[in-house]
Amino acid sequence: MTPLAFEELYENEWAELETLLELLAGGRFGAPAPGEPESAARAAALYRRACEQLALARARAYPAYIVDRLERVTATAHRLIYHRREIDFARLRRFVAAAFPAAVRKHAAYVAVAAAVFLVPTIALGLAVYRSPELILSIVGPETVSGFEQMYSPTAASIGRTRDASTDWVMFAYYIRNNIGVAFQCFAGGLFAGIGSLFFLAYNGAFGGAVAGYLTARGLSSTFFPFVSTHSAFELTAIVLSGAAGLRIGRALFAPRDRTRVQALIEATRDAAVLLYGVSAMLVVAAAIEAFWSSAGWLPPSVKFGVAAACWTAVLCYFALQGTHAD
Amino acid sequence: MPTRSSSRPEDLLSSPDVLDTIIVAETPEGILLELRPAGLTARLYAFILDWIVRLAIIYAAAMLASFVGGLGIAFWILLLFALEWLYPVVFELLPSGSTPGKVAFGLKVVMDDGLPVTPAAALTRNVLRAADFLPFLYGFGVASMLSRRDSKRLGDIAAATLVVHHVPAAARIAPLDVPPVVPAKLLAPEDQAAVIALAARAPRLTPERLDELAALAAAVSGDAGGTGPQVTRRVLGVAQWFLGRRA
Repeated sequence: MTPLAFEELYENEWAELETLLELLAGGRFGAPAPGEPESAARAAALYRRACEQLALARARAYPAYIVDRLERVTATAHRLIYHRREIDFARLRRFVAAAFPAAVRKHAAYVAVAAAVFLVPTIALGLAVYRSPELILSIVGPETVSGFEQMYSPTAASIGRTRDASTDWVMFAYYIRNNIGVAFQCFAGGLFAGIGSLFFLAYNGAFGGAVAGYLTARGLSSTFFPFVSTHSAFELTAIVLSGAAGLRIGRALFAPRDRTRVQALIEATRDAAVLLYGVSAMLVVAAAIEAFWSSAGWLPPSVKFGVAAACWTAVLCYFALQGTHAD
Repeated sequence: MPTRSSSRPEDLLSSPDVLDTIIVAETPEGILLELRPAGLTARLYAFILDWIVRLAIIYAAAMLASFVGGLGIAFWILLLFALEWLYPVVFELLPSGSTPGKVAFGLKVVMDDGLPVTPAAALTRNVLRAADFLPFLYGFGVASMLSRRDSKRLGDIAAATLVVHHVPAAARIAPLDVPPVVPAKLLAPEDQAAVIALAARAPRLTPERLDELAALAAAVSGDAGGTGPQVTRRVLGVAQWFLGRRA
């Protein structure tokens, strides 16, 4: 069969498929167009035929424009047919109700290592700086130290002052940008065989511990701990989880087992993405609490500690228990 | 341009002489989709353009925020965060699969199998930018892109994504006003395709170059050794015949 005869024979099918694909692609974000199921079935049938015709056209070395047209139309159809629509409400609900806590439990070993790497420097530096406060200068500069002291000074009334609403919003935005940046760093560091994640976890742990130890030694614990106790339930766990996600990809590179290194990395990244979604959501919650609740100085510390205990319990129970019956 | 001397792209790819960086993705139907990975230069241009766009937005928003005050600043910081981390993710998830910079340079992000990028892949490839960026100015990312045939940066490797060129459609072969000529010898399909490809290119070649190329194929019309416009017309006539035109 000559190229022109081939083209003439199938021209109608190709034109129909092209029209159908345009129609289907157009209705992707709205409600399904009337008659969409039928046209989708028709398009799928035509797509399979076009695949055969493409194979024929290639095998017979038909001119480029014919092969090209078939490639184009099959590629478009392939995209439409196999495209996964991942974002919808049911999926989101399933994510919160089951997928996220299940992913955390599945990576329990990584979470444990990440938590240890984060907490050991926190406690060690906390104790060391509490005993000899001048050690803090080896971690942060003097301006930062005096900044922290001012922030948590009960006399300066900065924390006790009822801030106006817009300041709360500014801090909310600042916390989101800052904390999600830190979490993403902890994750991305995993690409260097996990060493980057370990470093950022330990660094952030050491920093937090040193600040806590210093402020306690300076007698400011009565403003510091009520402030950090509630949002830390979300913030610290999120940082640890992002570090765990980083360790997951680090481990895949370091010890890929029966996969090639790249294949192991791709699988690990797909797993880690679930953790990353959850981490981002937790950090938004943490930023909201930090900006609007933790800073509310008129609340007595006992109330804040009570809420903090409830949040910590809720977060830990969520990861330990949520969705276990579905496993 | 889009000439194909072989019917099977995978044969072409396995040949060490071929400089093409075409990547072949196989669909469940067993057909092969060709993807053309974009190299460092094209992606750099797109990145710079995106960077300028983001900078312009941030400056414009900063001016507005300074009028509004408190809440305006909060909004501005959130915008800064969104432009930093979410800008590429959101644009890559749109049907076009590309940020404004990539659109301008005809690039798009797809999965390794040619499908549109998934939300998980779009997020991870962009979060892993933080690793590509190290030690400075995307050092690791650039090193990775230069050392790989498919020009992936680290984030692309991990997320199994690919930045590809949008390929313009091949020109339809205009029916030249040359009468079909019966070929002087039988040709294999690949050789017929080469003659047809010459006819497809004819409108874009200078007459002199066309004559030179046609002279190489002159044997098909029985004019072996001949050259000149007459021979060229006969060779193009054979191409018409191969296409299926008959007198």
